[in-house]
Amino acid sequence: MAHVVLKDLVKTYGSFNAVNHVSLTVNDGEFVALVGPSGCGKTTTLNLVAGLIPITSGEIAIGDRVVNDLDPKDRDIAMVFQNYALYPQKSVYKNLAFPLQMRKLPREEIDRKVKDAARVLDMTHLLERKPRELSGGQQQRVALGRALVRDPAVFLMDEPLSNLDAKLRVQMRSEIKRFHQDLKATIIYVTHDQLEAVTMADRMAVMNGGFLQQYDSPAQVFAHPVNMFVASFIGSPAMSLVPLEATTADGETVLTSAEGWILPLSARNARKVAAATSNKIVLGARHSTIKLHKSAVPGAVPAKTYTVEPTGDITFVQAFLAGAIVNISVPPTVAVAPDAAVWLEFDQDRIHLFDGETEMALNAD
Amino acid sequence: MTTATGRAEPSRTSPRGEPGALRAMWQHRVDYAYVLPSIVVMLIVIAYPIYYTIDLSFYKTPPSLQLRDKIFVGMENYTAILSSDVFWRVTWNTVVWTFGSTVFSFMLGFGAALALHRDFFGRGVMRAILIIPWVISAVAASYIWKWIYHSDFGVIGAVLVGLGITSRPPNFIDNVDTVLPALIVVNIWREFPFAMIMMMAGLQTVPDQLLRAAKVDGANAWQRFWHVTFPHLSSVSTVTVLLLAVSNFNSFIIPWIMTGGGPSNASHIWITHIYELAFGRQRWGVASAYSVLLFLILMALGYFYVRALGGNESKDRGT
Repeated sequence: MAHVVLKDLVKTYGSFNAVNHVSLTVNDGEFVALVGPSGCGKTTTLNLVAGLIPITSGEIAIGDRVVNDLDPKDRDIAMVFQNYALYPQKSVYKNLAFPLQMRKLPREEIDRKVKDAARVLDMTHLLERKPRELSGGQQQRVALGRALVRDPAVFLMDEPLSNLDAKLRVQMRSEIKRFHQDLKATIIYVTHDQLEAVTMADRMAVMNGGFLQQYDSPAQVFAHPVNMFVASFIGSPAMSLVPLEATTADGETVLTSAEGWILPLSARNARKVAAATSNKIVLGARHSTIKLHKSAVPGAVPAKTYTVEPTGDITFVQAFLAGAIVNISVPPTVAVAPDAAVWLEFDQDRIHLFDGETEMALNAD
Repeated sequence: MTTATGRAEPSRTSPRGEPGALRAMWQHRVDYAYVLPSIVVMLIVIAYPIYYTIDLSFYKTPPSLQLRDKIFVGMENYTAILSSDVFWRVTWNTVVWTFGSTVFSFMLGFGAALALHRDFFGRGVMRAILIIPWVISAVAASYIWKWIYHSDFGVIGAVLVGLGITSRPPNFIDNVDTVLPALIVVNIWREFPFAMIMMMAGLQTVPDQLLRAAKVDGANAWQRFWHVTFPHLSSVSTVTVLLLAVSNFNSFIIPWIMTGGGPSNASHIWITHIYELAFGRQRWGVASAYSVLLFLILMALGYFYVRALGGNESKDRGT
């Protein structure tokens, strides 16, 4: 296993910048998820690391070796693809043996490694089958096995679970996580599903528009999103973002809405607002930090419910607040009707404040 | 609903299923009506000639069109054919012609398809140019090639003499040793674009992700071709080769126009030979017997063709 360093990585197609000056370090044995919406450059970044497409500028190092000009086969990587990419005419055994045969290993060693991998992934009984005779989950496990037999420095995984059905995806998610824990493998994992990234990765790199937005542990990204994009992309349901205006009333900084209500701020939050470039402020809050009241209480702001979605152990309420949709979660025992007037109370210690112009998170210091 | 239909069903269908079959036919009566015209045409222009050819192959026919004077001779036409030297000569020519044309057309077409599959400047123009031999008239092409090969006025001879390789222009199509290879070259030139188009279509279905996986697994360009591309193209290759083989077996235009089977039967293949026997020498009985033999061979080829197609379908169902 080895660490991976991306330094100022750029990939352009004509005038389109698919990857913009991305720099990040993946430590030895670390599970890093590249996450972002479609077209954010995460798969391109992975292909650059794999060497499947040439880089425009920057540097990629695997271990202590700069691999910019090396072929994929010389980079000591293994890759797992979204569509499994198993060789359809070859049996499972031959699929697993293929990368070893290409490296001209002795026959006995290939046999031993293939059987070891099959045992680890619990598919010894499938070795003689053809890929088309396997279920999606089994196929993905073979693809994982083909990466495993190589004993590579880095595992690259390109949305390996997105072709599986929901139930199997959850199961394979924990299998891959277990695989990482047992092997202490360095893994770079591309996904558009923030839940996969949050649940599996040691650190996640959130990308958008070819730029790296934030690179931190899932807990940190969740608790301290650096900008409005990360805030709205990570977490399900998404963080609610309400555009407001900062004003001063009786010497105190408050947020006012176009609807006329006023939200007082704590001293710490007032200091954050003071750092903004204009008086446009976006208030962010996660569903679990907002309290829903059915009657007016001091400090709560008026809203109107839109939809009510019971999920069993929790009920999600969507409400209109100052022209934005706000997600709130309430216990299933609380009965809420759609189109009803409600009052929302924000937790001053857990709200997020963003600069309405730059979309960056505001900090107190 | 379902139970009600289930109870009503047995009264209409007998255990043997015959009324059921009739009912099914009746339900599909419009479909039968649609195919009826083609069936009638087929019976008139295909089934009857086949029957008449088989019938005629048992008769000795006078060298005129007075077919009512024909004499029944049983299998004599067949024994005469199978014991004649010309038959074996023509059969060997046909085998060489079919095999040579098919194999080289396929390889050349596949090679061209692989080259054109890569992205390079002028690819579209190249593709258009390479398709020309296949789209122009075979008759025109045959006459032009006849001139190209001509021993006195041919451009190949002129170039060879001009370059000082030979002192006299070689005689390609009036020489029993070179005539068949010379015709095969023309045939390959004419039909390799067909193989090229088929294989180009096949190449577009090779999954890119598989090729990338093979790249990461350490396969070089040749290994990627051998382990990924070629196996993926096995079914389209089979179909292409069979179609080429059948069309080559049935070739007529190129050999007939360029040499008429000569010199001394050196470029006669089955179809040209049958044509000459029937319409050149009016030996209808023998020509019919030849045709029946050819028919049987083509049916066998057709059987393999259908089986190759069917095999692919069952493979697809498996996925």
